[in-house]
Amino acid sequence: MAVNQDYELPCGRELETVWARLDEVGTGHADEHELTCPHCGTARASLLALREATQELVAEPDPAPPDLVGRIMSAVRAEVRRGQMLDLGTPEAGGVEVSEQAVAVVLRYAADAAGDVRARRVRVRTVGVDDGGASRVEVELTLAVRLGNAHGGDSLARVRELVTAAAAARVGLLMEKLDLLVEDVYEDAE
Amino acid sequence: MEGGAVTTTNAEPGTPLDDATLVGRARDGDVRAYEQLVLRYQGPMFRLAVKMLHHRGDAEDVVQEVFLGAWRKLEQLSDDQAFVGWLYRSTTNRCLNVIRARRPQADVDLDLAESPRRDARPEHAAQVSSQLAALNEALRDLTPQQRACWLLREVHGRSYDEIGQVVGANPTAVRGRIARARAQLAEVMKPWR
Repeated sequence: MAVNQDYELPCGRELETVWARLDEVGTGHADEHELTCPHCGTARASLLALREATQELVAEPDPAPPDLVGRIMSAVRAEVRRGQMLDLGTPEAGGVEVSEQAVAVVLRYAADAAGDVRARRVRVRTVGVDDGGASRVEVELTLAVRLGNAHGGDSLARVRELVTAAAAARVGLLMEKLDLLVEDVYEDAE
Repeated sequence: MEGGAVTTTNAEPGTPLDDATLVGRARDGDVRAYEQLVLRYQGPMFRLAVKMLHHRGDAEDVVQEVFLGAWRKLEQLSDDQAFVGWLYRSTTNRCLNVIRARRPQADVDLDLAESPRRDARPEHAAQVSSQLAALNEALRDLTPQQRACWLLREVHGRSYDEIGQVVGANPTAVRGRIARARAQLAEVMKPWR
């Protein structure tokens, strides 16, 4: 290959070829040239030393400072995106609002509880207000389903049931419509 | 509602969620989901930054900026599966920028600027073999682009295509940079063969 021409050994072999065949030679499958060529032998020894040092480098314990995650998350929390606020119905004077994000968390948790599914994105849209002042909402929930889930229909029905119940009981929103979008599958190991 | 109070409880605690699910939730503003991603990937990004910059303090700054920047730009990420590649790209580019900004300084200044944290871990220094020390030293003599390509390939196991996307070069150019880096490093390793 043209890019490797700078590293042609005096015997005509390229260093990359020697690198690519390290294991081959190491396991006794050297060709005639490799068995006798001193240039290849010298290059091979250097590359083996490099490979050994690289393995040490990979295994080297060099963890990030323990407080780094805390500092990153402090900065992230300072920039929390609150998104839209939803009105909650209340018989008392004055309004009560809840962020869409907070509603999304409740709905995701409810969906996760159905089993064999993982909730991803939640979109909540207010479409009106009922007589009691509670928001009527339409929700779109994106899901990943466990690979091999033989009862996908049952899982989705359970998601629908749990999410609708949670919206009413835990947040006080009236669910007008719930769209469930299955966008992905996941394996148990993930 | 305070951001910190936005919590997500998994139905099955102990089962780590896949990246795409966490990214999807984080995009919705779920801070706890994002924290899981930070916990998962800050180690590899820090490791890459330290080897690129040879300076723990600068590496910490880079990693912090990368994750804050990713949080701000999650909306722009079209493919949730691409999050890790995005982190690698961002970390590499920020490191290259830091190196570019350093250029006017003499090398000796960089040595003096080495964070004292390294000295605070003498037990670690003692374990480092002379072979590994030589490799670490030799990495500093590569060009920043060669160093990035070599580290991404040999330490982080990224494919040529992925590295090409990270450094903005085609896979053939990446292969060439890695080959040159390998030849230079092998030369340095001669005394240990």
